[in-house]
Amino acid sequence: MTAYILRRLWQMLPTMLGVIVLVFILFNWVGGDPAYILAGKMSNPEQIANIRKQLGIDQPYYIQLWIFIKQIVTFDFGASWSTGESVSNVILTRLGPSLTVLIPLTILETLLAVALALGIAFVRGSLTDRMVMIACTVGLSISILVYIIVFQYWFAYKLGLFPVQGWGDSFAENLFKYSALPILIALTVGLAPNLRLFRTFVLDEVNQDYVRTARAKGVSERRIVWVHVLRNASIPIITHVMSNLPYLLIGAFLIERFFSIPGIGREVILAVERSDFPVIKAVTVYVAAATMIFNLLTDLMYQAVDPRVQLK
Amino acid sequence: MTPQNQPKVSPGLWALAWRRLRGDKIAMGAMAVVIAFLVMLVLSFTGLIAKDWDAEVGVNYAPPTFIGKAGGGDQIGGVTEDLGPPPENPYDPLKDIIKELRAQSGPEAAAGADAPVDDYGIKDPLEKEMAEIRAELSKSGATAAAAKQETLPFGADKWGHDIIKKTIKGAETSIIVGLVAAFLATALGTLFGAVAGYYGKWVDDVFNWFYSVFTSVPYLLLILAVAAVLQQKGVMTIILILGLTGWTGTFRLIRAEYMKHKAREYVWAADAIGATNMRKMFVHIFPNVSHVALVQISILVVSFIKSEVILSFLGFGVPVGTVSWGSMLNEAQNELILGKWWQLTAASVAMAVLVTAFSMFTDALRDALDPKLK
Amino acid sequence: MENTPLLKVSDLRVSFKTDKTHYVEAVKGVSFEIPRNKTVALVGESGSGKSVSSLAVMGLLDPNTSKIDASSRLEFEGRNLLEMSIAQRRDLCGKEISMIFQEPMTSLNPVFTVGFQIAEVLRLHMGMSPKQARARAIELLDEVGIPNPKQKIDAYPSQMSGGQQQRVMIAMAIACEPKLLIADEPTTALDVTIQKQIIDLIAALQKKHHMSVLFITHDLALVGEIADEVIVMRNGEIREAGDIHQIFEAPRDAYTKALLRCRPSLDSRPMRLPVIDDFMKGGDEPAITHQERSRGLTGDEEIVLEVKNLGKSFYTREGLFGKKEFQAVKDVSFKLPRGKTLGVVGESGSGKTTVGLTLLRLHQATKGQAFFDGKDILSMSEKEFLNYKRRIQIIFQNPYASLNPRFTIGQILLEPMRIHNIGANDDERTAMAYQLLKRVGLPEAAFHRYPHEFSGGQRQRIAIARCLTLKPEVLVCDESVSALDVSVQAQVLNLLQELQEEYKMSYIFISHDLAVVKYIADQVMVMNHGEVVEMANSDELYRDPKHPYTRTLLGAIPRGLTH
Repeated sequence: MTAYILRRLWQMLPTMLGVIVLVFILFNWVGGDPAYILAGKMSNPEQIANIRKQLGIDQPYYIQLWIFIKQIVTFDFGASWSTGESVSNVILTRLGPSLTVLIPLTILETLLAVALALGIAFVRGSLTDRMVMIACTVGLSISILVYIIVFQYWFAYKLGLFPVQGWGDSFAENLFKYSALPILIALTVGLAPNLRLFRTFVLDEVNQDYVRTARAKGVSERRIVWVHVLRNASIPIITHVMSNLPYLLIGAFLIERFFSIPGIGREVILAVERSDFPVIKAVTVYVAAATMIFNLLTDLMYQAVDPRVQLK
Repeated sequence: MTPQNQPKVSPGLWALAWRRLRGDKIAMGAMAVVIAFLVMLVLSFTGLIAKDWDAEVGVNYAPPTFIGKAGGGDQIGGVTEDLGPPPENPYDPLKDIIKELRAQSGPEAAAGADAPVDDYGIKDPLEKEMAEIRAELSKSGATAAAAKQETLPFGADKWGHDIIKKTIKGAETSIIVGLVAAFLATALGTLFGAVAGYYGKWVDDVFNWFYSVFTSVPYLLLILAVAAVLQQKGVMTIILILGLTGWTGTFRLIRAEYMKHKAREYVWAADAIGATNMRKMFVHIFPNVSHVALVQISILVVSFIKSEVILSFLGFGVPVGTVSWGSMLNEAQNELILGKWWQLTAASVAMAVLVTAFSMFTDALRDALDPKLK
Repeated sequence: MENTPLLKVSDLRVSFKTDKTHYVEAVKGVSFEIPRNKTVALVGESGSGKSVSSLAVMGLLDPNTSKIDASSRLEFEGRNLLEMSIAQRRDLCGKEISMIFQEPMTSLNPVFTVGFQIAEVLRLHMGMSPKQARARAIELLDEVGIPNPKQKIDAYPSQMSGGQQQRVMIAMAIACEPKLLIADEPTTALDVTIQKQIIDLIAALQKKHHMSVLFITHDLALVGEIADEVIVMRNGEIREAGDIHQIFEAPRDAYTKALLRCRPSLDSRPMRLPVIDDFMKGGDEPAITHQERSRGLTGDEEIVLEVKNLGKSFYTREGLFGKKEFQAVKDVSFKLPRGKTLGVVGESGSGKTTVGLTLLRLHQATKGQAFFDGKDILSMSEKEFLNYKRRIQIIFQNPYASLNPRFTIGQILLEPMRIHNIGANDDERTAMAYQLLKRVGLPEAAFHRYPHEFSGGQRQRIAIARCLTLKPEVLVCDESVSALDVSVQAQVLNLLQELQEEYKMSYIFISHDLAVVKYIADQVMVMNHGEVVEMANSDELYRDPKHPYTRTLLGAIPRGLTH
């Protein structure tokens, strides 16, 4: 086991390096000399020259790359070009709000989708099944933007059930008052694709030979679905949820932007709008690292839930 | 020798799939909708319709025709209209005195005793010139006023553009981006997947490294990062961004397929009879895998249309002069508060219809090409 | 009470949906009885409807895709199963009637322990507490012959071998002491030696628990060891049913006779195996030749292929940086004379298939040489070997996977000719293809068809035709008839023999089926764990096996009626 983990960590290094190089190419080479971007934000030429020197713009590329790597390892990307706040601070403070929305959302979404998928397994092939699937398809076709605009307008603005925007200071306030509508919207949007996927997982299991054996043993359909099938389907479900977590962090950016939730996603959008390179670079690199670690965790968890798998 | 009468060639995969598809009424319906959109696309692209979408043909925020025109008064800019006599000023201190004087000057004047006074009888020294200017203005104004309609079939946006034409143009943008980018991404993914899956070993390792680098960064983040860096906007840019980042899903699928088929006996048989690697990859294996690529294109079209709308909404997509459903949604956000819902509805419904039809068609296509007992 | 049959099936008709409106009848009015305390064998080839009938009895057919005709009756101890409610039927399943299936690996739930799955049926039907169920489960595992039952009870199915998994299935099935055990091809997926153990186990359990067994199989010889009565099915109908002695000694139906005779027997080797058609055409046995074919090597034949010290190892990763070696083939040497057949027998994992694949360089040999026409084909470059590829060809086991599903038969036949530039143009090649199709007994119209339109036996013949386009000198037959029904097997074997005589090809015939190998091989090489254990002329080997493993192998062959 330790050998496996060590080997995976070792294998992550070239990938990490690849991401670093990719980001570097994008921002330092294609993006070029940031002087003209900075010129629009800071009027002080000395400051601009300082930043250019820090980034080593006038130096050959490999030195620039080395500087970049050093920044990553020391968690010090300097300051945001637009707000002057230290980039590491930016990331750390924005993480909390994102997670306040993300964690309850993931739990609710997964439980709901699994329960519905299992329920559908009972009525597979029937009209209900097809109606639900069509509803999912239509639901998926409406842009998330529309959901956000309409929900925000209707539930918050018109009916006044939730605050239109904003974020508070206390955790409880944030969780129940400010996150409620965003979570509701994200649930509605995320349910359809997850339900479709989980339904496929569940139906794949229902068609397996061991279900036939269970029936031959006289086991009831309910027990078959909730014990036999669920346990097997939970393998791809857990794998899917775990490996998707890093994506959710960024995917919530639209919701964060609309609701002015000071999370990482919103920060990224703002950074892109303002061409705030340090922030974008830092977030990209760290999210990539998080994704890789989550993939490793997913594989380890896979071994824990599936007795057939032996990691070597 | 070759027989004179060729016996009927039995159906291959595509013919069988087509037969199955034909029997599925929902799929046929979905396909019809998609084709309708494509026809609309061609007409729009060649300029046969919606060419003049950016002409300001309606009054600002003109409501849809089926609702009726908005109440006058809150028109902004450039509409001359006969406003009628100035309304009575209730605080006029001379009001009562004028009333008495009129009553005294005679019965006709008395009849109009309450009528508001027009300039107190003082003649306007510039009257003649003003009349001329007014005539000039009302000439051009009249044509302008006649051209700007009060209602359009589905309303107008802030500048008076016809919503329907904008929606059509938006469809053009989205579909072109979707189709071209999907082809690009699928072509790349298939090529990479085939080579990686077939050759294995270090070639596979290199491609897998490439794949893991691209997938370590969440897709949208990657797109945003690229959009941030590429200062030059345009439809081509978006297509390149989406195409060059979206190949990963196809890669994984095709790679798995090639690895699976490479171990199948018919490929070993091909090896035994002396086929080269190239031949095995593209003549023998590819026909068994092409249906996967086709379904992938379909899936990607849907995904890219949605991404393009989001990008354009955020302002990172199409440039200002081009219409996209995303930019329409962006405008709609503010319009909603003012109670103008038509642009939001048009863009949302058009997009929903297209994407639903395409999604259903994709599902039906997948089932037709690879039927499994449900 | 002893006279009423345990199970009485009357006029069972089952149809399957092919599309929204059409049904195809798979079982066409089948009636039979299963008496108490007896073993009844239900024999038939693929498509006969034997499995479908048993699934109907258990109520395991999918109501969405199949339907049972209203006139059918399934009476278990007098009660019609089809008229019962789902709950009542569920009560019977696992308790009074149990079933075991062909593939134990997939039939067991992979994520639950063996103990959990056995205990489930005990707790469900016998109302046992978890502790009681666990204790009983350990007893059951012991009864079915699982060593260390106290440890194995917490094992997962993936941690057991195929034979052990099947024993677990049996334990689950007999846990509640059912009156009827249905066994659907329980040994087909297992090795010959394991097969014998499982069959013996089932027979012992049948006697001990006084239950009836419905044993479903395609192998009539297998049945002779354990059955009291036999029912023969073909194409959804019963051809013949009766006492086992009567069936084996005096079969009445033509198909039954065909099934008995088409399999190569260990005692004789006719010039040509009888095929189904010989019997079905009517009349008694008009076309059967009794002339024997002699096989064996004299020692001074011309050698076409000489293999020396062939070895092949597979490497898997171990630990942080290490590699683990698995030796599939250790040290194999043999000489193959022109126009003769070398049989290679062994069970799964013996390395026999790897030998064949390595000779064709589909695997890369780890060591050893193979001299073909004086040159070592294993050490040549790829380019050099291309010239030799024509001369040594292979026919694979799985007829469903060895033909490209997207090619027409014509394309499949033309492909090798195009690669090796045989024939001046496509017209000539097409003509040759038509000739070959005729030679292997297929119609010319097959040229434009796709593989999925043909049966397993026909596909193997197409594969043979494909090889023939290159006129090879050595043909490796890797389990080429193992996946075929008995009747079809005979046809393909006859074809192979004819072609050998005509083209003077040498065969390396790899198989686990000892009877078939004895029939077709001149010399037989027995393999176990990658090594050659014994090699002799086929008659000698079977008459007087020297190595203990060979003796075990031969002892496990089902010999038909033995009791």
